[in-house]
Amino acid sequence: MQLTPLNRVLLLLGMVTAVSTVQAADPIRIGVSGPFTGGSSPMGLSMRDGVRLAAGEINRAGGVLGRPIELVERDEEARNERGVQVAQELIGREKVVADLGFINTGVALAAERFFQQAKIPVLNNVATGSVITHQFSPPQYPDNYIFRVSASDQIQAHMIVEEAVAKRKLTKVAILADSTNYGQLGREDLEKALAARGLKAVAEEKFNIKDTDMTAQLLRAKEAGAQVILTYGIGPELAQVANGMAKLGWKVPMVGSWTLSMANFIDNAGVNGEGARMPQTFIQEGNTPKRKAFIAGYQDAYHPANGRIPSPVSAAQGYDSLYLLVAAIKQAGSTDGPKIRAALENLNQKVEGVVTTYDKPYTHDNHEAINAAVTVMGEVKGGRVVYAYKEDMK
Amino acid sequence: MGCLVARRFKSFEGVRRVKFRGSWLWWGMALLGLALLPREINEYYIHQGVLIAIYAILLFGLDVVVGYTGEVSLAHGALFGIGAYTAGILSTKTAWPFLATLPASMAVTAFFGGVLALPALRVRGPYLAMVTLAFGTIAQILINEMDFLTNGPLGISLQKPDLWGHALEESEYYYVVLAIFFLTGFLIHRLLISRFGRAFEALHGSPVAADCMGVSVYRYKVLAFVVSAAIAGLAGSLFSFNELFIAPNSFNFELTITFLLALIMGGRKSRLGPVLGAAIVVLLPNILDDIQLFRWLAHGVMLGVLGLFLWRGWKQGWNHWKSWIIPGIGALALEISSHRLQDMTDWRLTIFGALILFVVYYLQNGIVGWLRQGKPAVTEADFPLSGEGAVQPVELERRSVAQTTPGPLLQVSHVVMSFGGLRALNDLSCELAPGQILGLIGPNGSGKSTLMNVLTGLYVPTSGEVRFKGQRISGKSPTRIALRGLARTFQNLQLFGDMTVLENVLIGLNHRYRSGMTETLLHLPRFVREEKAARARARVLLDFVGLAGEASREARHLPYGQQRLLEIARALALDPDLLLLDEPAAGLTSAEIERLIAVLHKIKGQGLALILIEHHMDVVMSVSDQVMVLDSGRCIASGLPHEVRHDAAVIKAYLGGGEEAQHAGN
Amino acid sequence: MNILTQLVLSGMALGMIYAVIAFGYQSTFATSGTLNFGQGEALMLGAMTGLSLTGEIMGGPYLNYWLMVPVVLVIGSLQGLVVEFLAVRPALRIHSEFGWIMSTIALGIIFRNVAENVWGRDDVPFPSPLPTTPVHILGANILPMELGVMVGALLLMGLMELFNRRTLYGKAVVATSSDRGAAGLMGIDTRAVIAFSYALSSLTAAFAGVLIAPITLTGASMGSVLGLKAFAVAIIGGLTSGMGAVVGGLILGIAETTTGFYFSTGYKDVPGLILLLLILAWKPNGLFGRAAVQKF
Repeated sequence: MQLTPLNRVLLLLGMVTAVSTVQAADPIRIGVSGPFTGGSSPMGLSMRDGVRLAAGEINRAGGVLGRPIELVERDEEARNERGVQVAQELIGREKVVADLGFINTGVALAAERFFQQAKIPVLNNVATGSVITHQFSPPQYPDNYIFRVSASDQIQAHMIVEEAVAKRKLTKVAILADSTNYGQLGREDLEKALAARGLKAVAEEKFNIKDTDMTAQLLRAKEAGAQVILTYGIGPELAQVANGMAKLGWKVPMVGSWTLSMANFIDNAGVNGEGARMPQTFIQEGNTPKRKAFIAGYQDAYHPANGRIPSPVSAAQGYDSLYLLVAAIKQAGSTDGPKIRAALENLNQKVEGVVTTYDKPYTHDNHEAINAAVTVMGEVKGGRVVYAYKEDMK
Repeated sequence: MGCLVARRFKSFEGVRRVKFRGSWLWWGMALLGLALLPREINEYYIHQGVLIAIYAILLFGLDVVVGYTGEVSLAHGALFGIGAYTAGILSTKTAWPFLATLPASMAVTAFFGGVLALPALRVRGPYLAMVTLAFGTIAQILINEMDFLTNGPLGISLQKPDLWGHALEESEYYYVVLAIFFLTGFLIHRLLISRFGRAFEALHGSPVAADCMGVSVYRYKVLAFVVSAAIAGLAGSLFSFNELFIAPNSFNFELTITFLLALIMGGRKSRLGPVLGAAIVVLLPNILDDIQLFRWLAHGVMLGVLGLFLWRGWKQGWNHWKSWIIPGIGALALEISSHRLQDMTDWRLTIFGALILFVVYYLQNGIVGWLRQGKPAVTEADFPLSGEGAVQPVELERRSVAQTTPGPLLQVSHVVMSFGGLRALNDLSCELAPGQILGLIGPNGSGKSTLMNVLTGLYVPTSGEVRFKGQRISGKSPTRIALRGLARTFQNLQLFGDMTVLENVLIGLNHRYRSGMTETLLHLPRFVREEKAARARARVLLDFVGLAGEASREARHLPYGQQRLLEIARALALDPDLLLLDEPAAGLTSAEIERLIAVLHKIKGQGLALILIEHHMDVVMSVSDQVMVLDSGRCIASGLPHEVRHDAAVIKAYLGGGEEAQHAGN
Repeated sequence: MNILTQLVLSGMALGMIYAVIAFGYQSTFATSGTLNFGQGEALMLGAMTGLSLTGEIMGGPYLNYWLMVPVVLVIGSLQGLVVEFLAVRPALRIHSEFGWIMSTIALGIIFRNVAENVWGRDDVPFPSPLPTTPVHILGANILPMELGVMVGALLLMGLMELFNRRTLYGKAVVATSSDRGAAGLMGIDTRAVIAFSYALSSLTAAFAGVLIAPITLTGASMGSVLGLKAFAVAIIGGLTSGMGAVVGGLILGIAETTTGFYFSTGYKDVPGLILLLLILAWKPNGLFGRAAVQKF
């Protein structure tokens, strides 16, 4: 047979696949999955960099159980079916002991059942959909392997409504949410939080990712007499909402989910985005030594534009998630999934993170590390996110 | 793992020979290998395998539309989604059993496929692509917005598929999907090598000719879309049970593009192509995520290119080095980038794009097209029903004209055909008796071809009427006119170029089949009988025009003169009562004209009525019973050949028409 | 404020954005029967190079907006030549039927990925050359830059018409578009004309990019949705008519904003697309497309 280029490639491909599966067993392999390309990638990349930063520190300090940590990073492109493939690859081929990541709630819902099945713990460090940690909760499932290190939509929605309705006395609210899973789940939680106060939004509007014209949505909100706009979307489109309001010459406050703190909102909205408020687990102000070190470490390692982390919340939660996991591995003295899960649910030592100091963050029935008390209200001021209330700065 | 790769490689090798030998043996071995696979590998690979099989099923269907009818569909991502959602909704909201949801999904998507094809009659090319894109976008929006049915953007979580009370594990589901995959591939293969597949291909080759051969473009295009959509629905429903979670954002434009790329990369008009394409698009993202794997790949490509270059140079000399510049630079760039990059993620898409470009440059007909290297997609050997040695004494069968009403066979009365201000036919009337041969001459632009197009229904006359065998045919569709027994050839050849000579004639014989799709798929006796008869008949017709030896050549590779003869054979396959020949001698050499005249005399001997448009006077004069002369859309003379030749008005029309001499040709 | 006027004005501005991009599809389809499916990426490259010159993203600003535009036009047309050379010419040479679809998509993917790596994955603001305070027209608000886009689109349409009718090269383009074979026989280098049309196509896309960047999101992925919507617009108007692109853009843009307000923002893209289907059912070559009389 004549050896054609394709045949050679295939032959080599075969050899290559065979060789590459021979791995050293020494390091502890931890999966990091998130969208590193496409629209949600600023969050995914910030998260990944946060995890990398923590991994570097831990490895320099001698690793855990005397073994170094090796991150197995996989891009799931914010696509559900890719997320499923990645999950199975991490479990079946890469043999990770735990997984950190998940930015998009939809991907989390699609992919995490495989980790649950394989009894490998997952720490969601960005995705906020309230349902994520309740997919496999007892009593239907004896043990739940899905944990979270981010403020769930429930917490955020509650804070958003409290900010608008209780603190500012704005009772005619309009909800603007994007048409994705993220926006619509958030909208539901906002509705619930409003209903708890006996309120109903005067307008509920949707927009698509990459929509550039928000005139129709804003006019509907305006005609309904809205005094405040509650948002659930991601940075670029939220910026178009703020810009659209300026165009219509209509200015009401914007209060929304944590994504209002993203650089791509602040930059694109510019002066129109000033004053927007959002719940935050982490604000890039070095007000504790740990936070200061984290920010400096991030800036040194990744040189973000203008010294600003693209998504500080994602980076901080990513960083903390690895420390929590490592603490659990250390306590379990093993990389066995059920043992790590048990250790996570009963952490003896406090873990000092940048978001907060975690003191027994999880129990068997509570898989949320972050509660309302840790979460603060942030505000866009002078192109940066600052504490909206000075008393939160502690 | 190494074992898996070896197996995969072997099965690839095996499959490659299938195409060459046309045997099912290798497919069988591949099946066996795949069936044993789950014993050796973990769930990750099983899941990948299932996904590849599901994508391949969809691509079988997409191939019907894209490969065979030659239209770009940008709706298949959405059809896939509709299938997935039908299964998801039925199994979660109404608790339908798994196996019942599959046909339900197929029915729903088949319906949408039909709706999608409705505009396809009038719209072609990029416009049709946009129609399908608009459909896909609307479907995605509806899935996202109709919360009450689809649960909106939150998606639907499914339970594991259930077979007779047993929830299928991943590896069990793998067998189910594998079985469906082989069944679908088998049935689609049977469909596509049958008259249906030939009809689909004919739509691509020349829609006009298909219509004029009694193969309704509209009907078969709708059918192609329906079949394709049903298969997309099947794949979609399998997908939803594989992922167990479906959400609207999965079924977006990107997915559609992925499917198209997979099909084109793998190779159109083949069963192997979809499998290869599906494997590539499913596995590639994983391969490109792994930097180590990629470095090895780059070394491999580099060594491969270098080795091939040296080997070629050794064998054939070094003067072709220029053609190696681009592959060389490409391989070098790949090698360097693999070492410069620390992280594949950032540049993965660029490498993916470069791979696509590579396929376009070097494997333009996909991997399978490259493996075939010029061999036709379906060879005679693939088809077990060939009528071997069936060449009987050449004789044309005809519908009996005597059964129809007596009187003229064709009656054209006061036909006017105007395009805007131009009257191409101006109050033209004429008649033709059964068995009569009418020569139609006139300067270029005198309306001869327009008359042909009016007679065959391609143009609807502005006024006046045409009656054929006593019935009005003006205003009827070309297909119906053709099926009534009026066949034609074209001035600008309208052969189905990618199809073999025999298949071209078989298109003309499509009207003889009575067996439906089920009979075709199951190879029931009537279908087998009809297929054998048709193939035998096609050989008779090829023999009649002297092309018996060329049966399995692709039509476009025939010499020009033989292409003209093939058009005649194809037209005769309709068993016409009247045959219209539009300049059959145009562009022929004198030797070919001799052959043509001989064929025309043979046709004449069979008692068939003929209208012959021709500039070559010797052809016209030697064959025609009667000659009619057109000028500016009017009949200026008609009569016996020698009378017309000396008619003053005719001479004036020809000579006054400038340099339109006798050899005005095409 | 008059709601309807506001919706129509916003819709017009949106539609003109689509129209400017749609011109690019037309010019290549006319000469070669191919479309650049990477049109959205050509637009993005125009906007991003423009931003590199006028913004701070690459250590600038180096030029002001108006001086930057001609530079971007040159870069845009070079990009078009690259697309033609790398993607279209090989595909046309080997008569690969679907080749150009694949190769233009592939180049689009590559351009987007390269841009992501050069300029980052985030959307960034593009400084507006015109004031950002809205002006009032007929009781509605509109941004000066939106007016700029409308003027730009009409200008582009006018220039294309003028070019096609008044210059020799333009006539060669028209000749090639009506019959490539005959134009070749008449001594027109059709290959050069096709290359030229690609340069022109990417030039208009790059122009569209810098024109719309100040009022939309600017980033590596800005072109994908816009490219598709512009494709719809080009089809509604007909691939052979500059006028068609403008009318198609207006139809789609206004349908989007009015549906969003009067019906539901979730369904806002649907009526425009249904309108498209109806228009094609009525006129298979678009509103202003020529339907050639078929000869057999």
